Amino acid sequence: MSPQRFLSKSESLVPMTAQALVAHVLESGDFYAAAAVHAIADAKQRQRLEERLFSSRRDVLMLARWEHTPANVLDALARLEHMPLARRVVKHRNTGGSTLKHQFSQSEDPALTGLLALHPNTPAPLLLQIAMGDHDQVVLKGLARNPSAQPEVLRLLAQRFPKRFDKEIASHTAVPADLLGTLYHRGDKFVRAAVLAHKHVPEVLVQQAAKSSETLILRALVKHPQLPAALVETLSQHKDNAIRSALATRADLPLTLTARLALDECDSVRRAVACRTDLPPALMQLLAEDHDPWVRQWLGRNPMVGKQVLQKLALDIHEDVRRAVARNPNCPITLLEKLASDHRSWVRAAVAYQPNVTSCLMASLARDSAVDVLSGVAANPHTAPALLKRLVFSEELDVRRGVIMNPAAGPEVLLPLLQDPYYLHRVLLASSPKLSDQDKWQLRDDPDARVRFALFQWLAGRALRPVADRYFYRRKA
Amino acid sequence: MKIVVAVKQVAALDEDFEIRADGLDVEEDFLMYDLNEWDDYSLEEAMKIKEAAAEGAVEVIAVSVGPERVDESLRKCLAKGADRAIRVWDDAMEGSDAVTIGRILAGVVKKEAPAMVFAGVQSSDQANAATGMAIAATLDWPHAAVVAELDYQPGANSARIKRELEGGLLQAVEIDCPAVLTLQLGINKPRYASLRGIKQAAAKPIEHWALADIGLDAAQVGATAALSRVRRMEIPVKGRAQMIEGTIAEQAARLIEIIKEYKGETA
Repeated sequence: MSPQRFLSKSESLVPMTAQALVAHVLESGDFYAAAAVHAIADAKQRQRLEERLFSSRRDVLMLARWEHTPANVLDALARLEHMPLARRVVKHRNTGGSTLKHQFSQSEDPALTGLLALHPNTPAPLLLQIAMGDHDQVVLKGLARNPSAQPEVLRLLAQRFPKRFDKEIASHTAVPADLLGTLYHRGDKFVRAAVLAHKHVPEVLVQQAAKSSETLILRALVKHPQLPAALVETLSQHKDNAIRSALATRADLPLTLTARLALDECDSVRRAVACRTDLPPALMQLLAEDHDPWVRQWLGRNPMVGKQVLQKLALDIHEDVRRAVARNPNCPITLLEKLASDHRSWVRAAVAYQPNVTSCLMASLARDSAVDVLSGVAANPHTAPALLKRLVFSEELDVRRGVIMNPAAGPEVLLPLLQDPYYLHRVLLASSPKLSDQDKWQLRDDPDARVRFALFQWLAGRALRPVADRYFYRRKA
Repeated sequence: MKIVVAVKQVAALDEDFEIRADGLDVEEDFLMYDLNEWDDYSLEEAMKIKEAAAEGAVEVIAVSVGPERVDESLRKCLAKGADRAIRVWDDAMEGSDAVTIGRILAGVVKKEAPAMVFAGVQSSDQANAATGMAIAATLDWPHAAVVAELDYQPGANSARIKRELEGGLLQAVEIDCPAVLTLQLGINKPRYASLRGIKQAAAKPIEHWALADIGLDAAQVGATAALSRVRRMEIPVKGRAQMIEGTIAEQAARLIEIIKEYKGETA
C-alpha cells in the first residue's frame, strides 16, 4: 500500500458534510479512510475513491479478505473483472444479498454454492433455488443450518431428502410446527430429542414423549416449560444425572422435590439446586456445608441468599467461593469491606467490580497493586472521576480498557486515552459517543489503519444522522 | 554494549491463493507481511535489558535481511525502542536459505561486535528454526535454543538461561557470552509502541547495508550458495474425510453405519 500523506493540521475542524469528509479523504489519499467513506460519496467522488482503492491487485485481494470491508465496497469489488475474488467476496460476512446474488449468476465456481448456502445474507429466493436444485450433501447440510433459511427451504429439504437432514431441520428456529410433527414421527431418537428441544414443539408431541422411557428423549422433555406434575415427580428419581440436573433448574419444581434434589448424590444436580432463587433458609444452610466447592460457589452467587449464609461462605477455604460472595449483588457492605482485604487478588477484584461499593472502599481498592483489582476499579461506574483520571495512566492496558468501558467515564477522563499505545483502545474511542467528533479528529492521522478506518466509519455514519445532532457535536467541541 | 536482534518480515496466507507460474512460491499478491511473532519477544527481551541498565549503556540494534518492504517491520522495532535498524540486501541474496541468511547476519554481527545476539526460535512462515543456529555456527559462538527465561547483566561474561524442553521440562543452563540465543514465545510480554514512539521512528533512518558492508561477495549468498533449494510448492490433494457430529451416541451410531457401508453390509 502506498504511503498516504496527511494534509490536515491538528487545529483543523472536522468536515461537517458528507461531501467535505469524502473530499478530505480523497485529498489525504488514505486507503482505509477511503474504504470507510465509500458509502457516503456521490457518484463522482465514489469513482475517485475506487481508483484509490482498486489501484493494485494486491490491494483488491486484501480488501476482499479484510474483515472490516464494508458491504458497498465488497459490492464494487464483486463487479471488478479478471480478479480472483468470488470466493473471498461470497465468504465475507459483510457481503450483502444483492452482491451474493450477482456472484451466483456470474461465477461458475462450484464451491460458491456451498458458501452461499451458509451465508446469512443470501437472499431467500436463492436459498430456495439451492434447496430445489442442488444435490451436494455438504452444501444442503449447510443450507439446513443457515439461520436465514426460511420455512419453505426447510420443508423442501425435508421433502427431497427424507431423514437425511432431519436433525438439522428440527434444530432450526424457523421450522414450522407441522413439519416438527412429521420429523418426530419419522425420526430416530436423536431427531425426536431435537424436536422436543425446539421452542415451538407442539403440545401433542410433548404428551406422546412423556410416555417414553428413552433417556435422550426425557433429557429434552425435562426442559419443556409445561410438564405434568406427575412426570416431574417421576423424573426427579430418574437414574440419569442430566435429567435430574435439568429438573433442578425448573421454575415449577415443588419444594419437596427441591429438598430431595438438594441431597442428590450427583454434584451437578446440587449445583443446579444452589442456583434456585426459591430456596428456603434451611436448604441454603445445608448447601453452604456441601463438600463440593462449586455448590457453595453457586450458592454464593445466588441473589436470594441471606446475610448469615453469605458471612459463612465469605470465610470459605476456596477463593472462588469467597469471590462468588463478593460478586453477589446483595452482598452487604460490611462483608464487602472484609473481602476487600482478602489475601487473594481474585477475591478483591470481585469487590472492585461491585456496584454497591462505597466511594471510601473504592479509594482504598484503587491503591491495590493487582491488575485485576485495578481493572475492576477502573470499570466500576461508582469510581470517582479523580480516581479514573489517575488510572488512565496505568501501565496495564487492562486497567486502561476498564476506564474506556466504564459507562460513567466522561470525555475529560477519556481524552488522554486517544494517545493510548494499544490500537484497540483508540478504535473503541473512535466509535465512542462520549467524545465529540472534534475530539476524535486527532485520530485522522493515527499510525494504525484500523483506528483511522474506525474514525472515518464513525464520521461517515454521523453524516447520515440529523443535522441537529451534528451541530451538538460541533458545539461541544 | 550492544545487543543485536535478528528479525524477519514473515508472510501470511489466506485460505485461497495462487502458486507462482514457476511453481516455487506463492504469488506475491496473495501474501500479507508482518513482523515475525517470535521476534516481538526477542526485541522486548533486549529492551528489558536496555531499560534495566544505565541510560546509554546498552544499544539495541534490529537487523533484517530483505528487500525494501522489510523497512516497515524494522520501523516497528524502532517504534518500540530499538536504537538502530539495519536492513541488509542485495539482489544477489535472492533465494538464500536459512544457512545463507545466517551467514549474512553473522557478517553484521562481526561488524557490530555485540555482547548478545537474539533471534526468534523460528519464523512463522518457513519454520526452519535454523537462522539463529546458523549465525552461531558461522561465528563459532555459544548458542542456546528455545530460551524461556533469561538472566543477563550487561557486560557479564555469562548468562543464565532456562530452555524449554518436551513435557514442560525446563533446562537451566549457564552460557558464555557473547552468545546467540533463540527466544521462545511467552518469555516476556511484548509492549505496544507508543504513538510518540511511532512518530519518532518515522523520522529515524534505517541503515541499508549491501554485500560489501559485511565483507561477503555474491558467490557466498543467494540461491547458488544455498545448501538447500525449493524444488516445487504444491497444495496437497484433499483426502476423503468427514467430521462426525452429534452426541457421543449419535457419533457411535454413525461410525457403525460407515463401517457397515465400508464392509458392503446394508445399514
